[in-house]
Amino acid sequence: MAGLQRTFLVSLTSLIGLLFLALPQSSGVATSNAPRMQETLPSEELTLQALRARRLALIRQLAQYNPTGPYIVVDTARNRLFVKRKDEILLAATASTGSGTILDKPGQSDAQWVFDTPRGEFAVQSKLINPVWVKPDWAFLEEGLDVPSDPAERVEAGVLGEYALGFGKGYFIHGTLYTRLLGKNVTHGCIRLSDDDLKAVYQLAKIGTPIMIF
Amino acid sequence: MMRPCIRPLLGLTWLFVAAWSAVSPCPVDAIEDPASLREAIRVLQEELRLAAKPQIYLLLDLPAKAVVIKGRGIELHRFPILAWRVSTSEPLGTVFRLRRRPPIIRPKAAIAENPQQDPIELTDMPVAFTLRFDPPLTIWITPPARENPWRWASSRGEEWWTRLRSWAATLLSTDPPDPEPSLRLTLSTDDARSLAWSVTDGLPVLIVRSHPE
Repeated sequence: MAGLQRTFLVSLTSLIGLLFLALPQSSGVATSNAPRMQETLPSEELTLQALRARRLALIRQLAQYNPTGPYIVVDTARNRLFVKRKDEILLAATASTGSGTILDKPGQSDAQWVFDTPRGEFAVQSKLINPVWVKPDWAFLEEGLDVPSDPAERVEAGVLGEYALGFGKGYFIHGTLYTRLLGKNVTHGCIRLSDDDLKAVYQLAKIGTPIMIF
Repeated sequence: MMRPCIRPLLGLTWLFVAAWSAVSPCPVDAIEDPASLREAIRVLQEELRLAAKPQIYLLLDLPAKAVVIKGRGIELHRFPILAWRVSTSEPLGTVFRLRRRPPIIRPKAAIAENPQQDPIELTDMPVAFTLRFDPPLTIWITPPARENPWRWASSRGEEWWTRLRSWAATLLSTDPPDPEPSLRLTLSTDDARSLAWSVTDGLPVLIVRSHPE
């Protein structure tokens, strides 16, 4: 009986072992603190040196793509805006970014506005003082109003703060009247800042300053 | 004299240790390892191509246990990987592009009825989801079992079901395709949501499996 039991257990352990050997997996848990010692033959030393030199050269090459001056980073998940130079943070601000909501375009069955802040790399294209808001169609539709035919009726002053930095396709970094909503995803895609932070960003950024949004 | 009941236990331990060491090909701090250096070079070469363009990309640094959001070669944000497991020992040194970001239920604003529609927030993002890439790669994002046992269990179930179907298809096929590599990342609930928020359709992703230093 004992022999039979032992045979069964040995068979079971062998089976489990073979199963694990058959699975070609590696894991972060298993390797986390396990540096492997390897012997290096003299002939391989040159190769190692060449590989190290190549890697260092590539790291330097990669660094050449880093922005040389200040750049703007926007974290849309946490509604934060940073102005950085290399690793130094020049400004950390609370922002408001896109709400992610959608609005149907009237008369177009499948067309919608999606109120997301665009993700990716952009650049400051324009710097405006005392900007006016040229209200798009959705702003009227949201308020239940007809879209005016006269472009002059779209212009609204005093709602974007003292400055605005355009980064393409109608998106701006601008001020807000609704400072209590800073830190929340409430905009139609633009990036809102408080008056003081907006002024600081305006002063630090130039035309062409990179804006990285994620 | 070894007692008979000890032998199977020792055998089991030996088999586990042998199996574990055989399937863990990723040295972490192997500065003298040419293979790790070659992989690092390959990843850097790919990253150079990505950093040359105005775009955001993701670096999954498995030995450092970090998800790094990058642009122009600079680190924009990072969050920790609690655990990872990859299904293949082959290098993953190419650029993978995300087919689609995880689906989001977007609130629809009714015209003039509810202009102050509730926005999407980070808490609306999924904590367990699957990211599929081209060339073929599947990344399973799961929360730790202790934080979200139900999501963890359902995610693992879905993962194993997919693997089972893949194995069955391989067994039944006369010309079996190469198994699709997959990677499971365990992220905290908040970080999983952050990742779901940050990824976009077509996002390039690079995976680092070993470190030269």
